[in-house]
Order: sequence, then structure tokens, then C-alpha cells
Amino acid sequence: MVDSSSMFDEILSLEDLSRKSSMCVYCKGSKMLCGKDRCSVIARFYSASKTRERIDSLNLDGSSPPSVFVGRFGYPKVAIGPMIPPMHGDTSLYDTPERWAGMSIDDIIDFRSMMVRGMHWVKVGEVESPNKLVVRTRDLALARTPPDVDAQFERKPYGRLSVNDDVQPFGPSAPLRRFDVSTCRFDARLEKAFFDTDLRAKDAVISLYKDGLLLSQIQRAFSVGAFGVGARRKFVPTRWSITAVDSNLGLHMLETTKTFPTINEYRVYETQSLDNRWAVLMMPTSWRYELIEAWYPNTAWNPHSDKIAIMSDCEFYDGRTDYASIGGCYYAARLAVNELLQRERRQAGVSIMREAHPGYILPVGVWNVRENVRAALRDPPRRFGTLKEALTHISTIMDIPMSRWIRNSALLKDALYQKRIDDLWG
Amino acid sequence: MFQAKARADILKEVVNVVSTLVDEAKFSVNSDGLSLKAVDPAHIAMVDLSLAKDAFEEFKADEAEIGLDIDKLSQFLKLARADDIVDIKHDEDKRRLNIVVGDITRRMSLIDTTGMSDPKVPSLSLPASLTVNVDDLVQGIRASETVSDHIALLASPESFEMTCEGDMDQVNWKKAKKDMESLEAPSSVRSLFPLEYFANMLKAVPSGSSVTMHLGNDYPVRVEFKIAGGKGDVRYLLAPRIESGD
Repeated sequence: MVDSSSMFDEILSLEDLSRKSSMCVYCKGSKMLCGKDRCSVIARFYSASKTRERIDSLNLDGSSPPSVFVGRFGYPKVAIGPMIPPMHGDTSLYDTPERWAGMSIDDIIDFRSMMVRGMHWVKVGEVESPNKLVVRTRDLALARTPPDVDAQFERKPYGRLSVNDDVQPFGPSAPLRRFDVSTCRFDARLEKAFFDTDLRAKDAVISLYKDGLLLSQIQRAFSVGAFGVGARRKFVPTRWSITAVDSNLGLHMLETTKTFPTINEYRVYETQSLDNRWAVLMMPTSWRYELIEAWYPNTAWNPHSDKIAIMSDCEFYDGRTDYASIGGCYYAARLAVNELLQRERRQAGVSIMREAHPGYILPVGVWNVRENVRAALRDPPRRFGTLKEALTHISTIMDIPMSRWIRNSALLKDALYQKRIDDLWG
Repeated sequence: MFQAKARADILKEVVNVVSTLVDEAKFSVNSDGLSLKAVDPAHIAMVDLSLAKDAFEEFKADEAEIGLDIDKLSQFLKLARADDIVDIKHDEDKRRLNIVVGDITRRMSLIDTTGMSDPKVPSLSLPASLTVNVDDLVQGIRASETVSDHIALLASPESFEMTCEGDMDQVNWKKAKKDMESLEAPSSVRSLFPLEYFANMLKAVPSGSSVTMHLGNDYPVRVEFKIAGGKGDVRYLLAPRIESGD
């Protein structure tokens, strides 16, 4: 076991964490002064130390899952390029969030932190550029199986684990000098959409989804501008592309979801993972939807408060006209519930409640929301005859009292307080 | 058979009233005129509209039901000026409505009405009733819209009030009986309503005209007004919000 305080000094100096609050320096991962269950600095370090020697070089050779990244800073001039782990073989898991549900946060950080990001700056409209870095980045995004990638960087990959709310975390990055991709086969369906320059991007996304492609595959190709009407193709920053795909597919499904008969009972689906608790309530009403997130103090996005922060967004039958304030996860979860409603050919009012408990030390991306809601919906629900019974059951799963959920829920307030014209008025 | 000519502004008034609540609607026509009853998808509000045949320039109809996409109709009517005469003809064989504005003919496919039920208008006894100018009310609504998503309507023997209470702010709009066209309230009554619905209903009222409201205690409100220069009647019904107990 490494002595934790010397390791701390090393990581603070190595990874430019000097701006980190002084509390961390006093704590050094041993006293848990910040209140988190485990030290996120240490969690990053463990992962980094395992891979550091393997990527401490100007050359990197490994099997890309396949994976690409398109940055958003500097838009419309952004950094595109491959993501490469320093290992060979079937690395597809590393960029397939659909297979991550149920894994521990350490496992995810472990393999994501090995993903080295190569960067090449282009204008977003330059998808047709003959530059090999552009062509190969796109080819990589269309690959069916993990090809070997051999990259040369301008300088040694540098940086710590990058984390944010939308995109799954990844490791160090470096500007690319060149990179080669071994001969690989394109996914035939992606290739067909790529060569169809009359097919609108939205229609390409919908038809590929119907063909059974994973969202992560579609989103990857979407981000490199592989879809759309010829001249309008663009690189799309990865974090925008995730929500673009979630949102467009959700809207497409809603066109029909809203015509189906309503479910006949109240249902509660539930799941837990990464110290997040989820309850999905479905009500026998016309389409309406909300996502309410409760962040405990000291979780990823509520680090400096001693109160639980609750935020929510909702839509009723006619949908939204502005972007949800809670961001991409709103659209990811909306897609997941529509998948279930489409399978059953039903519509419903859906209220999703999420508690992020202190063990959720690092945000791991929007996929966490989508895949966990999908996972919750895979198990049979508890069924109830009344809303009251359903809410009583939810109180046994969640920590936050039902009255507080109701105060933050437009749907529950509507269901409990708003009367209907066909109620009995006598 | 249904064949009519009408001024475009009258048809636009009808479309405004209906599109507040529904995207698709079933109109019924007979020799006396045209009527419609519809409930919004959330079953919170209802519209009951009738337009006498003398609201039209020409009107000939046997009993028939016509299912219309209100958005399509609204889009097309935007091409017409207020005093343009719109020519409407129901083509039963092709299940279309042929609409002519000036030199343009739009052949509009009709919606199948077999699945569209006839909503029953509940009979309500609403003790208070009052009549005010719609423009005054709309001012009160505009003051409320940023404060909360629901609004309380209160009628007493002396006055009528609209109150909107948010987490932080409050808006109150009040008119004394002497400043209103009429007010009949045997006692004080109060009901709470979703503001968006109420606001949209009032926005469908032709500017400058009078609105009559019938109110009760924690009970629906009935909003009545005239369109087509007095030749059409609209009644909206809106269900209340009741925040007591569980």
C-alpha cells in the first residue's frame, strides 16, 4: 500500500490540482473532510498510476473500441481525433456505455482513464477534407470492430481524468502528429447512411436505430458528420451529439407514443447503481414526462452545500419549446421511457425520481441516466390501483419524503390537485 | 352536403377558439349552422361552440360531421385578409374539404371522426356570475404570468378578484361591482385554476368584447362570450385545482 500522504503530494504536483480547495491538502484522502464516501482525487490517481507508464511516450499503439472524440471548446473550430487505450484486443466495452449498467464506479474510471485522446483542430464544416487525420477519424467512427490504431503525438499525453456531466470520462490527451488505422470493416448500415448524401441526419438516426444499432454507435458516427444532406454535414461536439441523438429519437417515438391508448394502472419501476436510486412512476394519463434529480451534499454536482439540491424539468402533452435546464439527462431518460411505451404500444404520464447519494463521487456521463432508466424498465414493475398506493411504495424506496418530491413535481401536483372536466361534479 | 361562404375574420375567430384546446376537432353541421364540442387531451378544459347560419354570407348544409386538422386550417387562413370571402365546400366522395381564398384552392383531407367521441357538457350549478371587458382581464393575466402557474378567481357580492401567488411574489387584480358590467354573487366563492389554460382561453376572446364568467367554490369556471359579431356563442369550461389534504 502506498503511503497516502506522499502519494497525495505527488498527485497534487503532477496533476495541477493546486487550485483544489485547501481542505484536500489537509485531508490527503485520509480524513474525508469533504464528506464524500471515498476520495475522488485518490480514485483518479489509482487509475492514472496504472496506465501512466504505458502512455508516457510520444507513440501510442492500441485497439480503439472504436472511439472518437469531438471537443466543443473553440467552436466552430474544434479538436477531433481518436481515443486509444494502450492495449490490444477486444476493447469495445470501453466505449459501449450500453454495457456498463451495473459496473462499479472504479471499474468505469479504470478503463475510461486509459482512453488517450488524440487532437487535431478543424473547422466543423470540413468533414470532406482530404486530410488523413480527418478521414481516419471518420473511418474509425464507422468501424465495426476495434481496429489497431498507431498514433504519434506532438508531445506526451498529458492531463488527468476528464469528467463532466454529459460525456463519459476519459484520460490524458495530446495533439496528434499522425495516426494510422489498421484495415477495418465498416458497419454496413452506418456505411450505407454515410454514402447516402440525400438522407437527412435525423432520418439516418431513426433508421439506424430501427436497424438495431446501439445508440453509442449512432452517436459516434453522428459526431463525425457522417450523416445528413451532403453539403450540410458537420462535425458535432461529442456532448452535443449525445443529446441530439437522444432528443431526436425521443421526439420521433413520441409522434406515435402520443396516439397509443393509456396504460391501465399505476406502475413503479426501480433500480439502484453507483449510489444512485431511481424510481420511475407511470400513470394512466396522456403523455407527460418529468425528471426530478436530488443531489445529496458532497455528490458530484453539489459539493459545497449542506442541503440536498433538487432540480426538475417537465413537459406536458405538447412538449417543450426550450432546452431543459437539467440538460442532456432529461432527453436521455425521455428516450428510455419511450422505448418501453413503444414496445407496449401504450402512452402514460411518467415521473422519474432520482436520488444521487454521497457515494456518487464523480459524474460519469448522460449514459448513466439512460442506461439506468432502461435497466429499471427491464424488470417487471409493481402495479397499483391508485396513485396514493404507488406513492406510498415510492416512499419505501427513496429517502426524501414524498411531500418534498410532490413540491418539486409538476406532474404529481397536476395529478393530485388538478381536477378533470369529466370528474363528477355534483 | 355542406357548402358555405364566410368572411375570413369570422373563420379565424373560430379557429382561435378551438386551437386553444385541441389540434384536431369534429365540427357538426346542419341546416341551422355549425357547432363543435371538444375536450383537451388532458381533460382539464372543454369548448362548446356554435355558429348560426346567418354568421355566414351563404350557408347550405344537411346533417354531417367534418373532422378537421385545426393547424392546417389556421395556416391556410393566414393567406386571407380579414374581409376576404372564403368559399368552403365539403367533397363527401373524396372525403375532403375544398377551400377557396381568392385564386387559391386548398383541398384538405379530412380526419376520420369515427374514433372522436362526443363529450358531454356537465350540468353545473355555479352560484356567482359576472361580466367584464376582456381587455381588462387580459391585463391582469399578463401581470400574473411570471409569478405562478395557477390563478385564484374570487367573486363576492361587492367585487371580483384574480389572485396569483408564487413562492416569492403575489399579484392581485380587483374590480368593484360598480366598475363591472354586472356581478351577481350571493356569497363569496373562490376557485383555483391552471393559469396557462385560463390565459389561453381569454386570448381567444375577440378584443374589446365582454366576457361572462360563472363561478363556484372549488368548482369549474364557465367562460362565455360571443364571436362573429354576436352570431356565434362560445362556452369554455375549465376544471379547478384543489390543494387540500391528500
